[in-house]
Amino acid sequence: MTLARTPLFDEHGSAGGKMVPFAGFEMPVQYPAGALKEYHIVRDGGCGLFDISHMGQVRVQGPDALAFLQYVTSNDVSRLTEGQVQYSALLNNEGGFIDDITTYKLSDDEYYLCINAANRHKDLAHLQRETAPFRVSVCDESDATTLLALQGEQAQSTLQPLVNINLAGIGYYRFATTEIDDHAVMISRTGYTGEDGFELYLPNALAVPLWRALLAAGARPIGLAARDMLRTEMGYALYGHEISDQVTPVEAKLMWITKLDKGDFIGRDAVRARREQGPERCLIALKLTGRGIPREHYRVFAGDAATGEVISGMFSPIAGGIALAYVQPEHAETGEFSVEIRGRRIAAERTRTPFVRSRVKKS
Amino acid sequence: MTIPADLQYTKEHEWVRIEGDTATLGITDHAQEALGDIVFVELPEIGRQLAPGEAFAVVESVKAVSDVYAPVGGEVIEVNTLLESEPEKVNTDAYGEGWIAKVRMNGETAELLDEATYTTYLEE
Repeated sequence: MTLARTPLFDEHGSAGGKMVPFAGFEMPVQYPAGALKEYHIVRDGGCGLFDISHMGQVRVQGPDALAFLQYVTSNDVSRLTEGQVQYSALLNNEGGFIDDITTYKLSDDEYYLCINAANRHKDLAHLQRETAPFRVSVCDESDATTLLALQGEQAQSTLQPLVNINLAGIGYYRFATTEIDDHAVMISRTGYTGEDGFELYLPNALAVPLWRALLAAGARPIGLAARDMLRTEMGYALYGHEISDQVTPVEAKLMWITKLDKGDFIGRDAVRARREQGPERCLIALKLTGRGIPREHYRVFAGDAATGEVISGMFSPIAGGIALAYVQPEHAETGEFSVEIRGRRIAAERTRTPFVRSRVKKS
Repeated sequence: MTIPADLQYTKEHEWVRIEGDTATLGITDHAQEALGDIVFVELPEIGRQLAPGEAFAVVESVKAVSDVYAPVGGEVIEVNTLLESEPEKVNTDAYGEGWIAKVRMNGETAELLDEATYTTYLEE
């Protein structure tokens, strides 16, 4: 399979980005600064710029747009007001995750979904299949759209001089549309790092000029490695890791985006049944008390019993060795946890997410 | 990238400095650059007997876990405990403060390359 490239591929090259295959794209895993420095730029008061154009965008339009989205997504879309964003999921009939998504409400009959790159074709096929009884159109705009994330304490002050709207007026999980160089741009106060910041949806023609303008304004390019560190410290789910079609929101601790009382939706009955039966596994947060770095697939023990495995693990410069792990439900609440690292069990304690204090601006 | 002339190298990108019967071991500049930011080093225990080619330490970068193989055989007599608190020394000073262990050699060695041969090997 040939790998796709985002409109910023050459910019990554000029910035010295080390490109790796990711979700069918060639994406920068890090730049010459290195993953740790990039992480610190975002965490410690700077402004990081991420090309996340591999992600997909879907426009949903029509008089039944709301009814359709209520049926295919897990969260309650009726609670969204114009200009608001909602974290949500597409579930299958068994309650498993097809994808996790964000839903943007543009108007009563127009919504916009941001979906994961690796799930794009699966999601589109699913959405198209479910449109039948609804007066709605589902349009894949991924190839025409560049998505940038600008994250860190300086994100707002870096972006403000480049736009004609007052960014301070955009609250957390809200968005506004504006024009930059006559191109329509959608800017939301959202992100995947636990820092204040924005995500910008723009036509591909604006990708290179805006990327350059943001770098010139002081933003620094950040690769996938630092992005994964930042999201793991927040305990944010990553599709294919914490969530997949093998787990339901009950296991993944995502019942807060699953509104069982909003009316019928795909996966509702299965999730309800699972909640009544109890989860098959539980996602927990662990922090090593001994030395070492927990990594994906390392075994987790409760006492002497093997109880599960690490799903996402890393060295956090702030919190040390941290992990999200799936364990058996009977061990989820209590237990003398340890993580097996190269044959040795390293003690770990149950903790809460985020592992590191979030500084998103919830207003 | 530097490849000092007074050291010997392995094809797995370790370096060894031999002084009398003592060998100081580490990973090369090429290795640290390929791995990226080192965030953890697992050191061997003092007194451990190493066979040439045996994995005796582990370096972990943000994304990768890599074994370090012994260029020479012998007994571990000293380890660089500085790396427990400052593993980044492997990145910033691979041949100096980033050394990993010292071994009292027993005369056995893995295949060792001189500077010129290692340089050629990297270019291939």
